[in-house]
Amino acid sequence: MSVAVSDTPEWKLAVGRLMREPLGVLGVLLVLLMVGGAVFADWLSIYDPTRISPRDRFLAPSSEHFLGTDQLGRDLFARVLHGGRIALSVALASTAISLAIGIVLGLLAGYGPRWLDNLLLLLFDSIKSFPTVMLALALVTLFGPSLTAVVIVVVLVNVPGYARIIRTQTLALKESEFVQAAQSMGASTARVLRVHIMPNVIGPLVILASMDIPVVIAIEAGMSFLGLGVRPPTPSWGAILNDGFTAIRDTPWIAIAGGLPIILTTLGFTFLGETLRDVFDPRLKGR
Amino acid sequence: MLSYTLKRLGLAVLIVSLAMLLLFSMIYLIPGDPAAVALGPRATDAMREALRVKMGLDQPVWVQFWNFFSGAWTGDLGREVLSDRPVSQVVMEQLPYTLVLIAGGISWSVALGIPLGCWAAVQRGSWADRIVGLLSVAVIAVPSFVIAIYALLVFAVTLQWLPAIGAGEAGNIGDQLLHLILPSLAVGLGWVGYIARMVRASMLEVLEAQHIRTARAFGLPERMITYRYALTIAILPTVTLLGVGIGQMLSSAVFAEIVFNRPGVGRLVYDAILTRNYPLVTGAVLVTTVLFVLLNLVADLIVGALDPRVRSRF
Amino acid sequence: MTVLSIQDLNVKFSTEKGDFHALKDVSFDVPEKTIVGIVGESGCGKSTLINSVLGLLADNGRVDSGSIEFEGQELTGLNPTEMRALRGPRISCVFQDPMGALNPVLSVGEQMRNIQYRDTIGKAEKDARSVEMLRSVKIPDPEHALDRYPHEFSGGMKQRIAIAMALMMRPSLLIADEPTTALDATLEVVTLDLLKDLQKQIGCSILFISHHLGVIAELCDQVAVMFAGEVVERGSAAQVFTSPRHDYTRRLLECDPANQKERTRRLPTMSDEPGSFVPVPVPPRQVPPAGATPLIEVEDAQVHFHSGPFYKTRTTVGVGGVSFELFEGETLGLVGESGSGKSTLARTMARLSHITEGKVTFEGSSVHDLGRGDMQRLRRDVSVMFQDPFGSLSPRMKVRDLVAEPFRIHGVTDVDLIVETDRLLTLAGLGPEFATRFPHQLSGGQARRVGVARAIALKPKLIIADEPTAGLDVSVQGGVLNLLNELRDELRLAMVFITHNLHVVRHVADRIAVMKQGQFVEIGETETIFARPQHDYTKTLLAANLAGPGAHA
Repeated sequence: MSVAVSDTPEWKLAVGRLMREPLGVLGVLLVLLMVGGAVFADWLSIYDPTRISPRDRFLAPSSEHFLGTDQLGRDLFARVLHGGRIALSVALASTAISLAIGIVLGLLAGYGPRWLDNLLLLLFDSIKSFPTVMLALALVTLFGPSLTAVVIVVVLVNVPGYARIIRTQTLALKESEFVQAAQSMGASTARVLRVHIMPNVIGPLVILASMDIPVVIAIEAGMSFLGLGVRPPTPSWGAILNDGFTAIRDTPWIAIAGGLPIILTTLGFTFLGETLRDVFDPRLKGR
Repeated sequence: MLSYTLKRLGLAVLIVSLAMLLLFSMIYLIPGDPAAVALGPRATDAMREALRVKMGLDQPVWVQFWNFFSGAWTGDLGREVLSDRPVSQVVMEQLPYTLVLIAGGISWSVALGIPLGCWAAVQRGSWADRIVGLLSVAVIAVPSFVIAIYALLVFAVTLQWLPAIGAGEAGNIGDQLLHLILPSLAVGLGWVGYIARMVRASMLEVLEAQHIRTARAFGLPERMITYRYALTIAILPTVTLLGVGIGQMLSSAVFAEIVFNRPGVGRLVYDAILTRNYPLVTGAVLVTTVLFVLLNLVADLIVGALDPRVRSRF
Repeated sequence: MTVLSIQDLNVKFSTEKGDFHALKDVSFDVPEKTIVGIVGESGCGKSTLINSVLGLLADNGRVDSGSIEFEGQELTGLNPTEMRALRGPRISCVFQDPMGALNPVLSVGEQMRNIQYRDTIGKAEKDARSVEMLRSVKIPDPEHALDRYPHEFSGGMKQRIAIAMALMMRPSLLIADEPTTALDATLEVVTLDLLKDLQKQIGCSILFISHHLGVIAELCDQVAVMFAGEVVERGSAAQVFTSPRHDYTRRLLECDPANQKERTRRLPTMSDEPGSFVPVPVPPRQVPPAGATPLIEVEDAQVHFHSGPFYKTRTTVGVGGVSFELFEGETLGLVGESGSGKSTLARTMARLSHITEGKVTFEGSSVHDLGRGDMQRLRRDVSVMFQDPFGSLSPRMKVRDLVAEPFRIHGVTDVDLIVETDRLLTLAGLGPEFATRFPHQLSGGQARRVGVARAIALKPKLIIADEPTAGLDVSVQGGVLNLLNELRDELRLAMVFITHNLHVVRHVADRIAVMKQGQFVEIGETETIFARPQHDYTKTLLAANLAGPGAHA
């Protein structure tokens, strides 16, 4: 009566599997590149991303200005690096907030009384029934363009989805025999949620949330593109893209400089997230 | 089926009502007096007061809400501030352009996504499968407005293959279709990826099912198993997903309309916000929301019609 | 003439950890117009064998050597198209799960028509043949059944439709993979009879796979016994079941509780030397003195459920008025088929479900009126074991934490948890080395034992065990039953033992209650129920719980 039990911890196996996937490695490299650029922006570029220099307007990419300059003569490489800080910090902060709220609401809906579940579902459906852009436009009307507005939009967009996932799994687990067993032993609701349900629902959600980071980056860039996100002169990829769009016929490099980091970051996080999910939870493969 | 339809319809009405409440409270909460904001700093007190009365802002909140609510259900969305035309009329003028754009996006995503996903699933693990998977992930990840701008840059500005600006000459269908290609591709490309992945995943799941094994044990031809036995089931989640997809395409449409300078509801709202034309903002947002809820409803009903299990559950 | 002849078949699967040798030198024949049974426990290679014959091995599996000859034609080298030409008209198959065997979105008629795709006759003729086939499997109103979808039929009906489809093309070999395992005992008998009739009518052979010795003995002419990928014994059914030659077969037969003629406190297990087993007589039930207070008393308990799309207008009766009492140290067997309300009754007794009418009294107080503090007391005194040995263990907790959970829940801090959990694990026959495992690293029997260790952790007065041996192989079942019996006697526990299998409960329970549609049709002492069943339904159940093959000898 014995079962072969492997001694290697699960995460070490997972890292090993990740490193064997070319796409995963590419994802890791892209993410490291973008994160590194954002963190070390001050060392990587000597230019101030907000300093206006009328003499240097619309310069094409050169050894001096790797990505050229924009209509106000600002160095685009510096703006892209500093824009990465905005994009990544918004992504991390709003994802963390969405996760926290989503988990709490999902557990409430899944484990709480029926009426609360129905009420929360109706709320989620109503929020989801606004197309993201409409939600953003309406919110900006209310608060004015700001990073806070971006974070609120992201949270509103993400929470219903996260809460629904947690709710569905909680509902399923609530009927599972091990939860019933815990109840039959007299475990309190708090203990059932904390010890028996939470550990089983959080893992998949965190992986899903990490895969949503490209969406969050897209929302920030999109809102800044429309002038609803960060205010000028703060650098943001979306804002650079908008500058470039205005002058697309004559100076296409500005649009390219704004779009490229968005493409690389979203691709990097997606490749990484996809591989991570396959590695940690093979059951979800290909979903 | 009747009970199912009624239940779905009831839910849709409830959601639209809630959306109205949210929109109303949003407008009500906007800092500053909407009338003053709309008229700008040079207006006199008397002008502001007149506009306030006209917009019904002098009445108690609940009366204002009731007016908004009952008006909205009967199609009266008030009048817009700048030209004093009925909001519903302005929105309805722009709506067809957006609908055509989204229909274009859906056409791309269904016409390319379903065959690609099915094809990848049937030869899972092959190079074709991997390439389809990689491309799907890539087009999902990259935001639609970046695709729009790069497409504009490459195909319209640099190569000059396709027209870039506007919706095309009125009455000239060919020209309009030509103008639709780039914007609809920008709107639908990400969804080609979504649908390909979704169809692939659910095909793989269905192909593992016991009844497929049974069908194989009866020696049915592989083509019949793939298309008649598996795809009919695998397609169901895709239809539901498309309902959600329409909402995201509405978002992408806003960007596409701005980038390609097309008329449409998205552009309308965007311009209305810049000019603080609030009745137009609420009206247009409400119309798109109702549209979205309706299309979701249609998607649900289609699933109900396709799946005998759902049909009989209600 | 031999329909199917398998010679020295070796099948291997390539896995991450290297090759897995699933079938080792398997040989046997299926002669014309006979039913050959293959018996074996889970993991013995039965499914791999079927898939090899059907040419449906998973992508990582391959026939390494040996031959599969069907009607004189070698199957191992055939390409998929040639294989497909045989499946359906020559070889067909019925699988275990009737719920999943039919396509849910196509009508029964279309599915039956599609099977006849090779024939060039018109739609009407194909439908006529389908109707005839459905009639022969006794589907009521077969003409209308064609337009209906699978979900509109019950489980037993679906399995019959699946059989009709499998026999549609009059194959010469039908492979039946545990076709009755998911069905209730009474339905099982009906389905087996139907299969037997059809086999005679069509004149085909059947390769019948099952883990259930009774079913095989009932149905088959010849038997092959499989263990760990090998055929350890084959011969006529009579020979294999009356004078088994191989040790494994002898142990397997002895372990089947249905083969014990006498009631016994201890059942044989796989580790007992075959033939050495001596039954331990069951002491007569101690009739409680008149006026004694029962431990738990159920008075006219009724549980109703409300459902329906709008105002929950539909009412289903889970339990419809049941009364009994249970005294300290006594075991009641609760027997019934799926949907009879036995689990609902158990849940209500432990207040895991509501009660609509009536009353449950535990140690003098009404269970459903207890306050919070008294509730916790009840949770300590009444332990519930759920059906699924794995499902009832939290998947991300180690065995040590699982067993310690009752102590933590009830704030018992005056014991050393490590010492105590080790003691409980040893008591449950596992030993402390299991403490660091996760549930998925256990076998079914081990997981069940962890459940037992946890159930007795806080010395309860009553254990409610819901099908504690369902899903366990016969070889493991005996050990778990022995464990429950020992602990019950040692700790003077009262027990409610829920099961669908009368043979299992016979050795455990002092009294048996037979449940049907939420009611007790009969309750009485175990001996009496078996010797002189009063109610017709009890008789049907006794007949349907197919006796072990030993009983046929």
